[in-house]
Amino acid sequence: MPSVSNSHKSGDIAVSVRDLSLTYTTAIDRKPTLKSRAKSLGRGTKQTRVVNALSHVNLDVEYGHVLGVIGANGAGKSTMMRVIAGILPPTEGRVEVFGKVSTLLALGVGFNPAMSGRKNVYLGGLAAGMSRGEIDDHFEEIADFSELGDAIDAPMRTYSSGMYARLAFSVAATTRPDILIVDEALSTGDAKFKEKSLNRMKELRGDDRALILVSHAMLTLRDICNDVAWIHKGKLVKRGNPDEVIDAYQEFLQVGKSAAIDEDV
Amino acid sequence: MWSRRTFIAEYSKSELQEQHFDSIFGQLWLILNPLLLSGVYYLLIVIIRGSSDSTRYAHLTASLFLFYLIANSLSSGVKSVTTGQKLILNTAFPRMMLPISAVVVAVTKFLPTLGVFLVIRTLIGLPVTWQMLWAIPVLLITILLALGLAIAISCINVYFRDIASFLPYLTRTLLYLSPILYEASTMIPKVRKFEVFNPLFPILDSWSRTMVHGQAPAMSSVLQALAWAIGIFLFGTYFFLSREREFAVRL
Repeated sequence: MPSVSNSHKSGDIAVSVRDLSLTYTTAIDRKPTLKSRAKSLGRGTKQTRVVNALSHVNLDVEYGHVLGVIGANGAGKSTMMRVIAGILPPTEGRVEVFGKVSTLLALGVGFNPAMSGRKNVYLGGLAAGMSRGEIDDHFEEIADFSELGDAIDAPMRTYSSGMYARLAFSVAATTRPDILIVDEALSTGDAKFKEKSLNRMKELRGDDRALILVSHAMLTLRDICNDVAWIHKGKLVKRGNPDEVIDAYQEFLQVGKSAAIDEDV
Repeated sequence: MWSRRTFIAEYSKSELQEQHFDSIFGQLWLILNPLLLSGVYYLLIVIIRGSSDSTRYAHLTASLFLFYLIANSLSSGVKSVTTGQKLILNTAFPRMMLPISAVVVAVTKFLPTLGVFLVIRTLIGLPVTWQMLWAIPVLLITILLALGLAIAISCINVYFRDIASFLPYLTRTLLYLSPILYEASTMIPKVRKFEVFNPLFPILDSWSRTMVHGQAPAMSSVLQALAWAIGIFLFGTYFFLSREREFAVRL
């Protein structure tokens, strides 16, 4: 297995988020048009709305640690991951990242469904700044890990959501990033693949890499994380020992320990 | 940006493959399509004017093919950012690579038609001169202009998604305002004055002079074309770079 050497020691800071706030303006229409803009000219209807996605969040992630991130839908978890990954610029505060980040955000790698899985892996890798040679080196391992077999050369529109997730996770995990961000991306995989990806995450943790795991699967988070952060409406509510934070979160949600929240990754 | 050229190359290649230009019939269509177009427009000229000659046909094909380089850059550039949505939401990369790839695709489609024109030109027996080397700087200016236009329009499309449906009318208007169906030298001076406002005019005029007539283009035309191209390119890239940070929340 080709392994990129890791120059970071356990305990070094991997990601440092200081007083991070994010406010953005977005269109109210899903598809803003010139027509709707012209129509609203005389009426003074608003075309955009301001979203306060995150306010004054402080968070550190150390190498060799796994940080779990929990919170209700729309709490700002994915937005925060995008800021850490450098996709969205922060409005206020600083985000410092010491190392190479690989992201596995909610949408997966599939970026052109008409093209084969192989093509998508190459394009995704090249866009993320890898060289063709680096992707060549990893490709066998990615294909093996995903267990897609011949489907790797089939167009991605023929993939099931589980297959998407497998390929996406394989890309993110086998390129051996210093920092891996996994955002609710594994909930569609089957039990066997979930187990395999959990093992891989533990392996990466043991290899002193940093992981951030956004999930609604409390049991998994209790098992794998060193730390859990609970985000509510863009604010960091509580951070610390997984059991404590998760218990507090579940009490807040008043769902108790039902089976539904323990199952997914 | 230069370090990401493999991405641009690979992305344009897969884009072309998707449009089936890697198959024989796809490539044939690449040549057949502009030829049929020039045939139709030639018919139009013959009907309206009552007569025509082979030089006019050469002018029409040369200008039309170059015009389609710009039109294709615009039409595939306009949606380049909005269709790259998934990639934009998931990866941090210079977003400008998307419209640039669209222009690379348009240039790749243009090259075989250039070959077709050279064959037509030889068959008609137009003079071959050293002045024809002027075609190279003129083509480079055209590509710069196409880049500027594609980058600007891909960004505008994020805010106004109906620009894409409006675009065919825009290119059609540009087609009629540019010296393609007629030659610049035959225009009434009064009308020609207004062509200062058409960025394509000096380019197409210079192109026709070098490629069809084998003459050096007027220096003023080349400079005017260069000024337009640099202006639009700088405007487009500035507009794009100032906006690209918020694409992820606008898509």
